[in-house]
Amino acid sequence: MILQIALLAGLVIFSALAVLARDLLKAAISLAVASLLLGILFFIMNAPYVGAFEISVVAGLITVLFMTTIALTKTEGNVRESKAARVAFPLFFIVFLIIDILVMKGLVGKIPAAASTPDQGTFGEALWKMRTFDLVGQIAVIFAGVFAVLALFRKRSKDE
Amino acid sequence: MSNTWLLYMFFAAALLFIGIYCLLVMRNLIKLFIGIEVISKAVSLALIGTGFAKKNILIAQALTVTFIVVEVSMVATALALIINVFRHTKSLDVRKLAKLKG
Amino acid sequence: MIFLFIALPLIVAGILPLVGKISKRFLPDLLANGVFAVLLACAVFALRPMIGNGPVVQQLSWLGESVNIRLVLDGFSLLMLFVVSLVSLAAGLFSIDYMEHYGGKANYYSLFLIMVAGMNGLVLTTDLFNIYLFLEVAAVASYALVAFGLEHDELEASFKYLMLSAVASGFILLSIAVIFGLTGGLSFEAVSSGLAGLDVKYPLAVCTAFFILGFGLKAALVPFHAWLPDAHPSAPAPISAMLSGLLIKVSGIYAMTRVFLSVFGLSPALSTVLMYLGVISMVVAAFLALGQKDIKRMLAYSSISQVGYIVLGIGLGTPLGILGGLFHLFNHALAKSLLFLNSGSIQQSTGTRNLDEMGGLAKRMPFTAATTLVGSLSIAGVPPLNGFWSKLIIIVALVQAKHWTFAVIAILTSVLTLWYYLLIQRKAFFGKLNERWKEVREAPFWMTAATLALALLCIVTGVLFALMVKDWIQPAADVLANGVQTTFSLLGF
Repeated sequence: MILQIALLAGLVIFSALAVLARDLLKAAISLAVASLLLGILFFIMNAPYVGAFEISVVAGLITVLFMTTIALTKTEGNVRESKAARVAFPLFFIVFLIIDILVMKGLVGKIPAAASTPDQGTFGEALWKMRTFDLVGQIAVIFAGVFAVLALFRKRSKDE
Repeated sequence: MSNTWLLYMFFAAALLFIGIYCLLVMRNLIKLFIGIEVISKAVSLALIGTGFAKKNILIAQALTVTFIVVEVSMVATALALIINVFRHTKSLDVRKLAKLKG
Repeated sequence: MIFLFIALPLIVAGILPLVGKISKRFLPDLLANGVFAVLLACAVFALRPMIGNGPVVQQLSWLGESVNIRLVLDGFSLLMLFVVSLVSLAAGLFSIDYMEHYGGKANYYSLFLIMVAGMNGLVLTTDLFNIYLFLEVAAVASYALVAFGLEHDELEASFKYLMLSAVASGFILLSIAVIFGLTGGLSFEAVSSGLAGLDVKYPLAVCTAFFILGFGLKAALVPFHAWLPDAHPSAPAPISAMLSGLLIKVSGIYAMTRVFLSVFGLSPALSTVLMYLGVISMVVAAFLALGQKDIKRMLAYSSISQVGYIVLGIGLGTPLGILGGLFHLFNHALAKSLLFLNSGSIQQSTGTRNLDEMGGLAKRMPFTAATTLVGSLSIAGVPPLNGFWSKLIIIVALVQAKHWTFAVIAILTSVLTLWYYLLIQRKAFFGKLNERWKEVREAPFWMTAATLALALLCIVTGVLFALMVKDWIQPAADVLANGVQTTFSLLGF
């Protein structure tokens, strides 16, 4: 339990760092570390498949994409973020956390939930047999992403 | 619903707040997109947390894996857009993208 | 057969890049529009008779084993499939000529087909997570399509659209996660029966709020509309037609309606919220449309306003109100896509979208002028065109339910709508022919053919409205008016 709360806290802290960091590279790395912590948390929560997926895809592939973009968009000066917002963040965050804790404490024991049928089979069966239509959707969204990138990077010929 | 579910929802809400704060306040295009990434983490955490609390972790994993695939597609498209915007305006400042008035 | 609506566009989208290497224009045009024509024919001839006996459930099987893909076709889904195939065929035909100077036609058609596949998948599924998934499929395709021209305006509009849309999708999925937690299920039947047995007012209210935020943004309801007036004008004209005519309706209104009416059940509080959202969108957008100089921006604001009408009708919840709302959805899809396609014709011939610079185009572009007139009068609600009947039904439903203020506001907004559409006609088409446009020619063949077909449909739907309503709209309205009962009836399958 302590480990889970520590991982969750780490996740939140590194995400906040990713948002507040001045240097884009540091922000991307913070985000990668946050994804790593989330992946480890998933392992502990008995969700090894999504943990592995999270680490390899979000902490790996997406970070690489971010690094590529940062490298391709290097400018002379950085975009100046507003200082006030960065300084005001901890204040707003603490206020939000207090509201959050109060709401959650208020909801303890008040949320009814239908007892669910326990899991049967393996993850493979859950994905391939029970959520088969999702796979069609995954194929479609991968197509969409690939064609989108192809369309956005296509060569414009001289007469266009 | 058990208290563990509320614990995970608490942290998911905190991440959601961080993500939305980033979108409201930041000016760099890539930073704005990091905000969206943080919101995605909040959603993954909410999904797996819910599955964990309901002992339905396998279905939750299937949903989250699909969601991560969608997220990758979206990230690829968004970063392609950002690179194109950079080629046009030579800057990553979202204030340069204020030509259209919404 | 029903699965064809999702599989065919996806497969053709997959092979189009290869085909595009061989033939840059002819084969992609033929294949893509062929797909749209096939889907339309399917919807009209094969599917329409099928739902006579109630919803049709197709359980797929692969090599003898049954695969867990369950598609349900009921009146509401059929109406959406029909209107999607209709408008995409028109926009596809229009693209044959219009997209020449953009380049990358095969790529364009691939994205177009994926968007259509996403929309079809959304309307055919009975699972909440699948609704989210196919919504994202169509959305990712649309981000690239809006930015297709790769100019500054288009990239800016697409980026803003992407950001807002991603946040909306996040909220939708969060809500789905909470519902999964509450009921343990994701399919419509499981969620409906789960919610009926629990006492979940507070968490359900939060879920509903998140859904309104998410789907409302996709549908561009005020105050979530900020992305639309930038995205729709900047996109290429056929894509503007698809976005305004279809995407905001399928991923916004269809999803919201399906979840609220068939799964949650329309409570009085929810009905009031929807009606107020509808009225606010209707009025605010109509006023904002007045001051616009760019013809496509004016049309974009008008879309927001008309979506307000649709949500007002559906939010009312009475069978007549739902009927009016759905009929207006259909009419607006036809008329608005017609108008956006025509704005593309004008933009291609004259090179401008600024109303102040146009003038007297009717002499040089008679077909465009005539079809724009039909579309404008249809949306403004002038008899005997289709828009008149749908608006009338909504207003009558409001009066029947004793919502006098709403009815009066609806009538006044109609007058305002008529005003700014006549403004477009006058500024762009009538009046003295601006010197600059002495040499412009009418739009090329396919563009004119597509808009003529849509205009003809508007007129036919208006004149034969009783037939249209009985055949297509009434089954859809019946499904929705039964509310949660239709979902429970699926439990037996």
